[in-house]
Amino acid sequence: MTEKETDTLVASPVQKRRRLGSRAALFAGFGALLTLMAIICIDSLDTLRAYETNNTQIRQEFFHRERTLEQVRSGLYETGSIMRDYIAIESDPQAQEMLRAEFQSIHNETTAALKACIWSLPTDERAPFQVLSMEMEDYWSMIGPIFALGAKQKKELGNSVPHRDVLKEHATILAITKEVSAVNDDDLKEANRRITEVFAQFRRRLLRVATIAFSFGLILTATTIMYVGRLEKSVEEKYHESLQAQSALKELSKRLINAEERERRAISRELHDEVGQSLSALLVDVEHLIGVSSKEGIFRQGLRNIKMLAENCVNEVRNMALLLRPSMLDDLGLVAALEWQAREVSKRTGMLVDTVEENVSDNLPEEYRTCVYRIVQEALNNCSKHAYAKNVRIVVHQDPNHLRVSIEDDGKGFDPSRVRGLGIVGMNERVSHLGGVLKVDSDPVRGTRLRVDLPLPSASTHQEN
Amino acid sequence: MKKLRILLADDHIVMRTGLRALLERQPDLEVVGESENGHEAVELAAALRPDVVVMDVGMPVLNGIEATHMISSKHPTTAVVILSMHADESYVMRALRAGARGYLLKDSAAVDLISAVHAVSQNKSFFSPRVSRILAEDYVRVLKQKGAVDSYDLLTSREREILQLLAEGKANKEVATTLNISPYTVETHRSHILEKLNLHNPAELILYAVRKGIIS
Repeated sequence: MTEKETDTLVASPVQKRRRLGSRAALFAGFGALLTLMAIICIDSLDTLRAYETNNTQIRQEFFHRERTLEQVRSGLYETGSIMRDYIAIESDPQAQEMLRAEFQSIHNETTAALKACIWSLPTDERAPFQVLSMEMEDYWSMIGPIFALGAKQKKELGNSVPHRDVLKEHATILAITKEVSAVNDDDLKEANRRITEVFAQFRRRLLRVATIAFSFGLILTATTIMYVGRLEKSVEEKYHESLQAQSALKELSKRLINAEERERRAISRELHDEVGQSLSALLVDVEHLIGVSSKEGIFRQGLRNIKMLAENCVNEVRNMALLLRPSMLDDLGLVAALEWQAREVSKRTGMLVDTVEENVSDNLPEEYRTCVYRIVQEALNNCSKHAYAKNVRIVVHQDPNHLRVSIEDDGKGFDPSRVRGLGIVGMNERVSHLGGVLKVDSDPVRGTRLRVDLPLPSASTHQEN
Repeated sequence: MKKLRILLADDHIVMRTGLRALLERQPDLEVVGESENGHEAVELAAALRPDVVVMDVGMPVLNGIEATHMISSKHPTTAVVILSMHADESYVMRALRAGARGYLLKDSAAVDLISAVHAVSQNKSFFSPRVSRILAEDYVRVLKQKGAVDSYDLLTSREREILQLLAEGKANKEVATTLNISPYTVETHRSHILEKLNLHNPAELILYAVRKGIIS
């Protein structure tokens, strides 16, 4: 493990832990808030439902009792009038029988309703109704025998005694039903009061929980905003850093390219001017010595050897210098350098390299000359090494604002979207440093076409001549 | 006998010393000045009016090609011999276009310089044999690669004669005198030759002649 990796490993867990901590806190907070809100919802729904059920039940019970009381009352009145009719009828057995049956049915219904009502009540509320029931039994036992009397007996009975008793009993029962009704009313009021109180309690609870949830939510919101703000800031910083790093890298690569070119030129010049010229001067002297030495011999032979060696050296040095950076590029301009290169490549590889220069100035700025020259060099290298092309056509065209170069070959193409390398990255670097664009079109059948478009600074557009 | 007056232009002092020694061993040659850059060469040429300037290519301030152009356009009587490390066509072509009459390689200077100076002083062209050879080889190779017909075959024998005389540096009038025809006829032939060979100026014509080995 390298030192750098160790560094990042030591530095990261602290940050990671802190980040994890605040994230967990946020998760917990949001979880709690959501739970609280869910509790409020469920509680509210429950309370509402309970309230609804209670209310309905109370009302139903109340009406049930009222209805029973009403039935008792009407039973009293009806049986009273039936009794009077029965006594009044002299001799119509059929009508008597009808009245008797009617009485019996009312008696049954009223008794059943009262009984059912008592059954439906809770035991502690049964008392008033039991009293009523007992009174009603008295009444029934008082009025019942009257319907068993014959016509003679009815006459004897006349309108006196039973009537008065029955009326008295009527009054008693009515009084009782009034009492029961009053109690029933009170019950209803009490139930309503209880419900209102429960409701008030619920409201208070709701208020309390909602207040807690709201303040909790506020705190959570503030924390979240702070957290997001911090994240945003750090992301922005990182982005800025990476942008800076990118531009620094670009600058560095530009400087590297320039430095390499400068070095090449310096070494090439040194070889050419110093070593080459000295050797040439040496050759002049040696040639002279050979000329003046009168006769053949070891001396002359030695001079010849020296001359041959020096000639070889000159050639070597010249070739090395040209390979590093052709002197034409600085002495004669881009066109001459490209033509020389085309001839050299042609001679070396057998590829036919055609160059066409349209309107290209000999006074192009140095970095443009170098850029185009190096790109063509790389492209020709690709043509012979990878594409096995037979013909290459190089066109350089200059107009006031642009320098355009196109390099077309008839060799084996490639898929530009998949194949990087082939020096294309390097070409791209060079072109982009001058603000230009490099395009590569290639397909396996038609070969490759490379196009470079360099914008020219307005100062360099003056033409030669 | 009047000596030929020579100006040396080379930024390398060892080279200049060697050349001066070489030239001054000839009784009919005299080195009248030395300059170490192109600009100085132009000024000295104007001041000294030498017969021949021996000019290096790569020099500071003003390079040899530019200096040749300025000297030969201002002083047509001064002949320029280019002394170069390179046998490449682009140098030869530009030297000729700038008005140089001779083109020598430095490594064969000792052998060829004297003859070159004599030749150009008589208004003739001179090229190092190795330059001629390389140019001729390139020419043949390109013809072969392109599978093209040698355009020289298209010329008539009279045209070939005139091509050689023109390439040697003779003016239309001199050619006319030599062949005993009118200068207008020479001009007609000249334009036919340029057209057939797809050439555009005297420099290209000379280069062509060198490539074909018509002159050296």
